Parts: sequence; C-alpha cells; structure tokens
Amino acid sequence: MSNPLLVFWSQIFGHREPARASSVGARQEFADQASATIFLIMRRMRAPLITLIVIFAVSVVGLSLVPGVDPSGHRARFSLFDSFYVMSYTATTIGFGELPWTFTPAQRLWITLTIYLSVVGWAYAIGSLLTLLQDQAFRQALALQRFTRKVARLREPFLLVAGYGRAGEVLVKAFDALGQRIVVIDEASSRIDALELETYHADIPGLVGDGANPHHLSVAGLGHPQCSGVIALTDDDETNLSVTMTTALMRPDLPIVARTISPTVADRMRAFGSPSVVNPFDIFGDLLRMALEAPATYQLLSWVEAGPGAALPDRGNPPPEGRWVMCGYGRFGRELTADLRATGLDVTIIEPTRSQDGLDGVIVGDATDPAVLARARLDTAVGLVAGSDNDTTNLSMIANARRINPGLFLVARQNRPSSGPLFQAMHLDALLVPTDVVAHEVYAQISTPLLWRFIQAIPGAGDQWAADLVDRLVQGCGFELPALWKVGLDTYQAPAIVPWLRSGRITLEDLLRSPEDRDRPLRAVPLLLRRGDETLLSPAGDTVLAPGDEMLFAGHGFERRALENTLIVDATAAYVLFGQHVPASWVWRKLSHKDPTPTA
Amino acid sequence: MNLEKVIFGFFVLLAATLNFGFFIGDISRPEVHNVFELFAAFTVSLIATVLKFGDRSQMGAVHLATSLVADLQLAAALVVWVTAEEVLQHGMTTAATASVVSLSGGALLANIVSVVLLVTETVTFHRG
Repeated sequence: MSNPLLVFWSQIFGHREPARASSVGARQEFADQASATIFLIMRRMRAPLITLIVIFAVSVVGLSLVPGVDPSGHRARFSLFDSFYVMSYTATTIGFGELPWTFTPAQRLWITLTIYLSVVGWAYAIGSLLTLLQDQAFRQALALQRFTRKVARLREPFLLVAGYGRAGEVLVKAFDALGQRIVVIDEASSRIDALELETYHADIPGLVGDGANPHHLSVAGLGHPQCSGVIALTDDDETNLSVTMTTALMRPDLPIVARTISPTVADRMRAFGSPSVVNPFDIFGDLLRMALEAPATYQLLSWVEAGPGAALPDRGNPPPEGRWVMCGYGRFGRELTADLRATGLDVTIIEPTRSQDGLDGVIVGDATDPAVLARARLDTAVGLVAGSDNDTTNLSMIANARRINPGLFLVARQNRPSSGPLFQAMHLDALLVPTDVVAHEVYAQISTPLLWRFIQAIPGAGDQWAADLVDRLVQGCGFELPALWKVGLDTYQAPAIVPWLRSGRITLEDLLRSPEDRDRPLRAVPLLLRRGDETLLSPAGDTVLAPGDEMLFAGHGFERRALENTLIVDATAAYVLFGQHVPASWVWRKLSHKDPTPTA
Repeated sequence: MNLEKVIFGFFVLLAATLNFGFFIGDISRPEVHNVFELFAAFTVSLIATVLKFGDRSQMGAVHLATSLVADLQLAAALVVWVTAEEVLQHGMTTAATASVVSLSGGALLANIVSVVLLVTETVTFHRG
C-alpha cells in the first residue's frame, strides 16, 4: 500500500468485510449487460451521424467552390470558414441572416440544394435519437444503472426485500417508519411503480427483476457490505427457495427470513443454513388457538406485531368448548384442523373432493350448498372455518352458516387483497390474511431483537397479565400503538446515570420522571427488561436497575426524547433522580464547588 | 469478405492518407499545404470516429481513443487556420503555417497508431 490514498481509504473503510469475490463477479456481469445496451445504442447512432457529417462536409466544400462576387465586384469564393459558418446556421434551420456578401445565383442554387439535404439529415439524426430514447431496452438499462448507483451509495445497514406484494408493502411501511433502509426487488414492474408512488420517509430503491436470478440479487445489494438481512416474500415458493439458497451460498453471514406455505419447501430451505421460515397457515393456526384460549394475549400480540401506529384490535369472545366445522381441507385446513384437535376440540370436515374419505367426520360435498352445511349439523356447532382458496366460496359459506346458526364463531381465510372490504363487512371473529400474517411475523422477528424476545415471552405470561398490560398501554399511549424503542443502560447510551446505577439504588420509577417536573411520571410503558440472558416482562416501578440493562419501551416520541435527555445530560439526571439542581456547565460547576453526586 | 470491415478499413486508412498528404512538405510554406485537404482529413476522421462507436473490445476502445485524438488535433489545426486567415487577417504567415502543419502532424501520429492497430488486428485474426 504505497499509495497514500489507498492507506487513507483502508483506514476509513478497512474494518468492513470485503464483498465476496463470487458476488462481485456476478454484479460485474450484470452491470456489463447494462452497458452493453448503451453500446448497442451508440452503434445504432452510427448511420445517422455519418449521414450528417457527409452532408455537412459536402455542403461546406461545395459552397466554398461555387464562384461568387465580393462587394468590390471581383470574382471571389467564400473561404472554408465562411462556408462553414453559413452552413452551420442554415443546416440547423436557425436561418441567421448575416452573410459575408450577397450570394450570386450559382451560390443560391447550391444553398437551396444544401438546405433540403441538411434538413433531411438532421431530421434523420434527431428522429433516430428520439426513437432510441423511447426504446424499452434503453430505458431499462438507464433505470438499472440508476438503481445500481443508488444501492452502491447506501451507507447505512439495509434489508433486501424480494417480492413487493401486499406483505412486502405492509412490511416496508413498518420498517420505513422505524427508519430502517430497504432495497426492494420484484418481478412485476407495476409493483415497482407502486413502490415509487408510495410516500416513504426514505428513498427506497426498487428493481424490476427476478429474485431467483443471482445476478439480480447481487445488483440489489446482496454483496454490499451494509446488507444486513434478506427477506423473501414473493408469492412463489420456488422463488423464495432460490433467494434463500442464493443468500446462503453467497452471503452465509446474513440472516434470512423466507415465506412459504408448503412444509416440504420449508424443509428444503432449512437444508441451506438456518433461515427463519414463515408459514402463514402454521402461524395462523397457533394464533387461532391463542385467540380461543387467551383472547387478551392474542389481542396484545397482534397489536404489538402490527407495527407503529396500529389501532388496538378488538378483543374476541371465544366460544364455549364444542364442535367445529372446517370447510376446505387443503393445506390451510389441515394445519388448522391439527391445531384445533390438539386443543381437544372436535372437528367436522367438509371437503368437496373425495380424496379424504378415509378420515373420521369428513363430509363430502360443496360447502356453499345449505344441504351440505345442514349435514354438518351447524346448529350444534360452536365455530366454523371457511378455509377454501376461493374468496367468493368463503364469503357465501359464511353467509349461509350465519343464517343457520347466528351464534357461530366465524373464521375465514382471505386470499386476494381486493376482497378485503367484503370480509371486513362480514364482521368475522377471526380473519386470516396470509400476507398480513407474514408481514407482522417478519416485522416482529427483524425490527429489534428485544421485540422478538418480548413476543416469544407473551404466551407464557398468562391472559390476566396480558389484559393488564393492554390496559396500561391504552392509559399511557392511547388506542394507537406508538413506536417501540430500545434503551440500553450502558456508558454509550446512558453516560449520565451509569455511575449512579452502580450504587444499586436507582429504580425504574425514579428514572421514568419528566425532566420538566419530576412529580409527573413519563407516559412510557416498559415492556421488557433484559439483563444478560434473563428477561423480565413488564418490569414493575420498584425494579432496581443495573448497568448494562436493556429495556423495550412503548411511548410517544416526546417521552422518548425526555428519557434520552435524562440518560445523557448530567444536570437533568441529577434533577430527575434526586431533585437536585446542579449547574450544567463545567465552569459554573467549578465555581459553585458543587459536584453532581448523589446525596439522597 | 465482410463489407463492414471493408468500409471500416477504408475510412481509417483514408483518414491517415489524407492527413499525411496535408502534412507532407516544408512545414513553413503555406503554398504546399492545401486547406481543403485538411478539411477532408478532418471530415473523414470524424466519420472514422463514428464508425468506431459501440465496439466493446479493448482493441475497439483504443481505436476510438486514437480517433478522438486525431479529431482533436485536426480541429485545433483548423481553428488556428481560421484565426490566422479570418480573425487576425495577417494571412498564412510562416509561424501560422508551421503551427497548423505541426498540429496535423500530431493527428497523423494518432492516425498511424490507428492504422497499426488495424493491421495488427488483421494479422492476428485466425480463421478457425
């Protein structure tokens, strides 16, 4: 490294993991494809440009050869420069009228000829250029270059999201609200257009490309040192599998979250490293069980998972124990039936095809037919699941079932985003929207590690605890969930209070006071406290804090800033913790001989 | 025989020969350097440049570079000529002629490199 610039560069960026050679190669290849298009376009401009040059040269030389007469009456020709000047403004149709001297008829004849020639030449050249600019391949090449540049310039950690469907949109919105940078790749250009129309805080680069193609993934930043994770959310299992595969092979250090609805594909994904596989049907089965057994827990969980700004979901009224009717015994039906039977519930299955005949309690028939529903003895059932993969069928099943037994607990599966309003109008007890389930699950797993710990600990804490916490959250933050944020009590994030934490006398209650008036408690709700490997759910006010603790809070931005103020500014900390007013500046502190040490 | 190669070779060579024709002769005597020849050399050099557009190979890149150098030198020579004849109106003095011709000499060097490249390319071309 004899070059001083290289030394400088390596000192600034040296700690970064260099991108792996394979991904760099792939990226190079794809970038070459982009420049190939531009070369092709240059090649296509050859003919118009040469035509223009030839017309120009012939006109200029011709004009300077045609005999003329100068003002004094002598025979004289235009010099090459004069001809070039006249031709320049004539050929470009500017028609600037300044002439060296009056033309003779012979010169006029030549000029007339060249005017027509040069107009044709220009029209040809400009026409070709405009055609090229509108060329689809050329525009794609330009868009790709712009995208590549944007991704290469990212200097913050970003997530690579493959598939910007409904789930991708929900997820991108939630992450964007948290300030997390994202790069999106989707096969459909209409989805990328939708991404560009959406108003996000940050600029989110979007590429029309195939996630199954390693080149496209590389261009989208898979090899970028700042890429912090890959999320495969396309609605095609095969594509998600190849995204998982590509990431595992090219960047084994990155976490991967992949969506699938097939257990087989999930197994194949797990063969490559340890991706986190999200199966919406599987998750929904667990959620439904939770909704039946512990409605408050379910309410809390779905509220926290829905991301910043979510409204408090209604708490369901679980039906009494009894028999359930499952319409549609596909992948979803099977998962859900297994979950319901695991809780000890009796399930009757209605399935239009005969393939499931060997099982108990299977009624073969069309579930939209009231006669078939009657055979399933809906009047004595407590719940019904409309789980076919057709929204119209599901809606009509629900309507029929409600007519027969208005007290049924109704669960439905929504397949297309466009039927959302119809399902909303039905006022169901539980609705599965696979895309939303996936988005919420991925958000919970990736946004902060503390949130994921919190969510995993929720089911074990009991329904009563969850109901209390929901009440406290509503009291502290209102019916719309504010952002969840993490605070670490270390010397970096909380330099002002770490020395006092060592004394072991500071409680959570002491800390959560307003810096303006310490009698007013901050309206931030502590959700989780982590100390080493231990986690404490919704820590009480008298919990004694220790250095190194990490906490997850729910609260509005101004409460967060107030708390951060306490953690960082010595004078504020002294006031909030002990009610002492100490000088904030070093000079004044020395002059007043006061030191912000606790006396309380 | 490839027609594209014929046209390409023709223009590259013609640019060099015209340039040479203008350059040859006593450097300070305007009567042995015809300005129309300089203009023709410039025009053909421009055409040769455009013909070299869009070649992605390393050879193509060097070809394009030599042509651009020749264009630049010839354009400079033409500007010097216009300045001497029309702007300053002192006509083609010895100094002006020398500077026009020496600029075209630089262009000739670039054109020679271009021809050498062309010949090298042809010689190293193996058919099968």
